[in-house]
Amino acid sequence: MEAKVLKMLVPMALEGLKATLGVFALTLLVSLPLSIGVAKLRLSKNKIISKIVGIYIYIMRGTPLLLQLMFIFFGYYQVPYIGYAFSREQAIFIAFVLNYTAYFAEIFRGGINSIDVGQYEAAMVLGLSKSHTFMKIILPQVIKTVMPSIGNEVITLVKDTSLIYILGASDILKAARSVSNVYAAFSPYIYIGVVYLVITAVLTRLLDKVESKYNYYR
Amino acid sequence: MVLSVENLSKSFGKTQVFSNISFSVNKGEIVCIRGKSGEGKTTLLRCITGLEIPDKGSIKINNMYLCKEKNNLIQYAQKEELQSIRQEIGLVFQAFNLFPHMNVMENLMEAAVFLKNDSVENIRTRAIKLLKRLDLEGKENSYPYQLSGGQKQRVAIARACMLNPSILCFDEPTSALDEQTRNQISKIIRDLSSQGMAIIIVTHDNGFVDEIAQRIITMKDRKITFE
Repeated sequence: MEAKVLKMLVPMALEGLKATLGVFALTLLVSLPLSIGVAKLRLSKNKIISKIVGIYIYIMRGTPLLLQLMFIFFGYYQVPYIGYAFSREQAIFIAFVLNYTAYFAEIFRGGINSIDVGQYEAAMVLGLSKSHTFMKIILPQVIKTVMPSIGNEVITLVKDTSLIYILGASDILKAARSVSNVYAAFSPYIYIGVVYLVITAVLTRLLDKVESKYNYYR
Repeated sequence: MVLSVENLSKSFGKTQVFSNISFSVNKGEIVCIRGKSGEGKTTLLRCITGLEIPDKGSIKINNMYLCKEKNNLIQYAQKEELQSIRQEIGLVFQAFNLFPHMNVMENLMEAAVFLKNDSVENIRTRAIKLLKRLDLEGKENSYPYQLSGGQKQRVAIARACMLNPSILCFDEPTSALDEQTRNQISKIIRDLSSQGMAIIIVTHDNGFVDEIAQRIITMKDRKITFE
């Protein structure tokens, strides 16, 4: 019985793994850099810009990702004037990027605020430009500060990828569900649980390495 | 005259920090600004170094106006001129404000390389010479957290000196130093002054003032007096 389960599960899980890792990697690749810009806008002295970004972050953090996925895929095309029917892949990409950019931006905002004002003043007195100060003086210190929180979100992202099932996409959890239905067995879920644990273990190791890379100074 | 301050006033909200302050500093002169806490010494220094915008008056550094009054409004130097003025005046912060993620050499070279005021190789040679002069040889690759208070102070001085400023300002330079390090800093300041650099020191350490000052400005009740 287990051999049959595994025989059916493995190819389906491998296919699902592509979707899971694809969503994970694309979301990280786009939302991490984007969130630094969003955090800067949130901290903008222009109150209108800061408020608009604040509302965006509030909506993204205040509603479930599942709902956001459903809205973008099933609901957005019904919005008058600006409505558009996104494909399944587009909807998944947009929802994940919008959601995770908001979370990452709040983490970066906290990190930027934690940097001593003396660092900005030292850079100013030395004649460094604002952009150079941010990229070379502030951001490296911010990254060290926010790494543990970013790490937590990265791990959460792996698990959140399972939400794409709601739009009919096939991830590893869907593979488990399908096999479980065929054989009336629970074991596919356990196997997939182990796959999640392996992914998380690899990521934890990687994140630890990145964190320790910044341990060269205090 | 390398620095001329005329009728400078500054307030925070309704609190007047100082009003109508005027003084000048000559090349190679060591001027100490002293006064009790809260008399506005550091605010005055921050105005001179462009970290704070005064309400009224003018500040002229090497014949370039950092700010001046026009039609009752304070006018600041434009971006390019401001860049040149900033290179004429250095500041050693009370907390040093070294960049913690950069080693000593990187701290020294960062601004000079960014401002492209020389080739990277020449900048490095200058930094090595400065470190030697300030008794920091062998500390090139150390990070700020690996240095003592006195060493951090000297790195901060070296960093400010990298841009060859005409004026070097110190905010409470002896506040966290022991006797021996204090004497070392005192010697460095005299050495810099003897090479023509004007020095402005803000402190409430009267012993240090008596030891080093060529001219003393006392801040009290929003005004200054000369000794």
